[in-house]
Amino acid sequence: MVDAFIPIGSMVPLTGPSAADGAEFRKGVILAAEEVNARGGLLGRPIRPIFADTGRQGAEDVVAAARTLIGTHKVHAIVNGYNIGPQNSEYEPVAEAGVIYIHANTLLQHHDTVMSDPDRYFGCFMTDPADYWYGPGFLKFISWLRDTGQWKPSSNRIAIVSGSKPYSIVIAQAMASSAAKFGWRVCFGPEIVQTPTSEWREALDAIRATEPAVIANTHFYSGDLASFQLQFMERPTDSLVYLQYGAMHQSFSDIAQGKGVGVLTSTVIGLLRDEMGKSFASRYVARFGEGSTPHIGCQSYSALHHYVLAASLAGGSAGPGGFEQNRKVAKALKSVIYRSVSGTIRYDEQWQAAAPYPVVSQDPSLGLPHLFFQIQDYRKPLALIAPEPFNTDRFVLPPWIDARG
Amino acid sequence: MFAGFDALPNGAAVWDETGALLFANRAFRRSFDFALPVGLLYARFLTAVVASREWRLPDPPEMWIADQAAAFGDESEADYKSADGRVVRMSVAPVDGGGAITMLSDVTAAERREATLLAAKEKAEAIDEAKSRFLRAANHDLRQPLAALKIMIFNCVRETDEARRRELLHGMDVSASVMEDLLGALLQIGQLDAGRIKPRVATFQLSTLFERLEIQFRHQATDKGLSLRIVGARAAVSSDRALLERILSNIVANALRFTDVGGVLVGCRRRGDGLRIDVVDTGRGVAAEDQERIFDEFYRAADDRRLEKTGLGLGLNIVKRLSDLLGHRIQLQSAPGVGSRFSVFVPLGNVWHSEVVETEVNEAVAGEFVGAPILLVEDDDALREAMGQLLDRWGVDRRSAAGAEEAAAIVAGGFRPRLIIADYSIRMSTGLDVIAHVRAVSGAEIPACIITADAEPGVVERVRAAGVPLMVKPVSPPRLRVMMHHLLFERDPA
Repeated sequence: MVDAFIPIGSMVPLTGPSAADGAEFRKGVILAAEEVNARGGLLGRPIRPIFADTGRQGAEDVVAAARTLIGTHKVHAIVNGYNIGPQNSEYEPVAEAGVIYIHANTLLQHHDTVMSDPDRYFGCFMTDPADYWYGPGFLKFISWLRDTGQWKPSSNRIAIVSGSKPYSIVIAQAMASSAAKFGWRVCFGPEIVQTPTSEWREALDAIRATEPAVIANTHFYSGDLASFQLQFMERPTDSLVYLQYGAMHQSFSDIAQGKGVGVLTSTVIGLLRDEMGKSFASRYVARFGEGSTPHIGCQSYSALHHYVLAASLAGGSAGPGGFEQNRKVAKALKSVIYRSVSGTIRYDEQWQAAAPYPVVSQDPSLGLPHLFFQIQDYRKPLALIAPEPFNTDRFVLPPWIDARG
Repeated sequence: MFAGFDALPNGAAVWDETGALLFANRAFRRSFDFALPVGLLYARFLTAVVASREWRLPDPPEMWIADQAAAFGDESEADYKSADGRVVRMSVAPVDGGGAITMLSDVTAAERREATLLAAKEKAEAIDEAKSRFLRAANHDLRQPLAALKIMIFNCVRETDEARRRELLHGMDVSASVMEDLLGALLQIGQLDAGRIKPRVATFQLSTLFERLEIQFRHQATDKGLSLRIVGARAAVSSDRALLERILSNIVANALRFTDVGGVLVGCRRRGDGLRIDVVDTGRGVAAEDQERIFDEFYRAADDRRLEKTGLGLGLNIVKRLSDLLGHRIQLQSAPGVGSRFSVFVPLGNVWHSEVVETEVNEAVAGEFVGAPILLVEDDDALREAMGQLLDRWGVDRRSAAGAEEAAAIVAGGFRPRLIIADYSIRMSTGLDVIAHVRAVSGAEIPACIITADAEPGVVERVRAAGVPLMVKPVSPPRLRVMMHHLLFERDPA
C-alpha cells in the first residue's frame, strides 16, 4: 500500500541567530506544499513538509537534522533555504540514502563536491548560484554604472574587506581576481576581519588612506554591516559602499536608518517585482500576515515547486534507498527549466547549481538574476536598480558623495 | 511541308526573305504567350517578345530589337534568362534563297552544370591559394610567440629565484596558448581567403586582451631594449575576441620590429559610441606615399629589403583583411623618423554582456584556500597522495613531506606555511616534533593540526597538552575543510 502523504524534509534554523530567516524558509515550504496539494499533489499524492531545526547551523546540527529526516521520517527529498556552516557534510547522509536535496547554501564548494563524484552526489542541488558569482557580478555592476555615465568614479581603486566565513572570503577573492579585467585596481585587501564584529574603525581608517572609489564589504550579518556603515559615515569618503547581502534585511535599516541611504547591496536569489513576484508576495503575506518577508521565503518556495514539477515528470518520487527513481527525478530537475518567482532556475549539468544571469547566462530566460539594490529611502523597500529587464528603479548618487560635491 | 517539325522538342520558326513568318512549330509557339500568325514580321515578333517580359533582355530593349532586326538572316546565337528561371538559347541561321530559321532550345541544365563547374574550379583555386597563404602566414605569425618562448626558456633555465621562475613559466604557458590560438586564427585566415569565415562577435573586456598582448610581447621588447607600455583599458567592446587580438598583435609586432629606439605604447580612447585603440611607436615611420600600400600583401618599405628574418610582410595585410571583415576602421598617422600611430576603431559593448573568462569555476581557482601555503606531513604514501590531491583540488599551495627530515628541508628551502597538517606517528618522531621544529625555524606560532589513526588516550593527552587540535582518521573532506578554515581564518579554532 502506498503512503497517503509524501514526506518532504526541510532543514531550517528555527532557533538560534538565523531563526528569522529560518521562519521564512519554513513558510515558503508550507505555502508551496499547500499550493501543490490544492492542485492535486505530486501525481495525485499530497506532500507533507517535515521540519528539522538546525539551530546554530553547524555541521553537527545540520547532519543530525538530515539523519532524522531520512532515518525517522523517510523523506523523499529535503528542500530548504540556506544553512551556514555544514560545509557540505550533510551531503553524506543524503548521498547514502539516495534522496534529493535542494538548498540555497550559495557555496562554491557545492560545485566541487558534486563534481568530485557526480554519481554519489546525483541528488544534491543548489537552487541558487554559488557565492563566487557575486564577485564578477559586482564588478560588472559597478563597471556598468561607470560606463553608462551614471556615476563618475574618483579613481579606478577598489577596497575589499571580508568577514571570516568561507562565503565572504570566496566573494572577496572573486572580486579581487575579477577587478583588473573590468579596469579596476584593488588598492586595499581583500582584508579578512574576524567576524562577527561591530568594530570596523581600524579597517575603515586603513581603507580611507587608500582613497578608493568603491568600498566593498563581503561580510553578511546585517547588524555588523550596519555598524560598518555607521562608522563609515563618521568620516565618509568619495566612494560607493557595497555591503554584501545582509544590507537587504530590514534589521540593517532599523539600525543604520538614514545613514544607510545610498548603500548598495545584492542577492543572487531574490524576489522579482513583476506580476509573478507581486502575486506571490501578496499570497505569502495573506497567508502568514504582515511582517512576514516573502523575499526570503521565495527561496524554499520556488525550490519545492521545482522539485514537485520534476518528480511529476519523472513519474514519481522515492524515499531512502529509492536510487533508481530518484536518479530519474534528478535528471528531470536538470532538464526542467523553471521560471520561478525569483527568475529562471536552470541547473547547470555539471554543477547541479542554478546558473546566474547576467554574469554567466546572458539570456534572462536561462539564468537566475543577480539583483542589485540600493537603499534610497530606509522606510521603504529597497530600490531594484539592476539588471535589466528586472530593474524597477534608477541608481542615485549616495548622499555622502553629493554632499562633497 | 513542315508537318513533321511539330514533333521536335525544340522550337523552330522559318521566316521568308522579307522577314515574314512562314511557319512556327508547336514548341516555338508554346514558348510565347502571344499569337504567331503566318506572315508576322520578324521585327513585330521581336517587339512582342519585349512586351511579353518573358525574357530578361539587355537594356534598353529598343536597341536589342534594332540590333536583332538589322542582323536578320545572319548567323547568331544568344542565351536569355526567362521569367520562370530557365535559360533559353536562341539561334538564328540563314536559309538558302534568303530568309532565316530561328531555333529555341532549353539550355538551363547545361548552363547550371557549367556554372557549377566554374564555381568548383574557382573554389579549388582559392583553396590552393589559401594553402599557400596559410603557410606563409604561419611562418610569419608563429615567429612572435616562439621568439618570446625561446627567450623565456633561456631565462628560466638560469633563474634561481622561485617567484621569478614561476612568472617565467606562467609567461611560457601564455606564449604556448597564444601560439595555439594563432594556429587556430591562421586556419581561420585560410578560411577567410576561401570566404568561409564568420566572425563570432561578442562583448568582452578589452583588458583581458591587453593583458595577453603584454605577456606576448613584453620579453621581446625588453630584449630589444624597447619600452612596451600597455595602458589598462576599462571598457567592454563588441568584436571577435580572437580576430581583434590578431589585428592588435600584428600591429604591435610590426611596431616593435620597426622601432629601434624608444618604445611602443598601446592604449585607447573613447570616440563617440566607440573606442579607438591606438598602437603608438617611436619607430621609423611611414612616408606619406607608402601609407596606403603598407597594407598590401608582401609589401616592404624600400629600405627594408636588406633586412632578413623580418617576416614576409603579411602582418599588416592580415590586419587589413581582418578589420575589413569585422568592419573596424583602421587609421594610420605617421611621419618618417618620428613614428607611427595605428588606430583601430571598435564599437563599445554592453558591459553586462561581457563574457566571463573563467567559465570553469571551481575551488582550485576561486575557493577560500586558494594560494594558502600549507605543509602536509604524512608517512603513509597512499594517504599522503590522497590528502595531497584533496588539497590541490582546493587550490592550496601545498608541500608534502614523508617525514621530519623532509619537512625540515622544505622549510629550510624557504617555504613558510600558514598551516601545518601532520600525522601523529611519523617513523622516528611525532607530528608534534615536526610542528615544533617548523615553528622554531619560522619564528612564528604557525597554526597546526594533528591527524592520527591512533586515538589512544596517551596520544590524545599529549596532543592536547601541546595545544594542537586533533583529528582522528579517516578524515572526511568536510571535516578537514572546517578545521582548515578555522585554523586559517578564525580567531578561535573549533
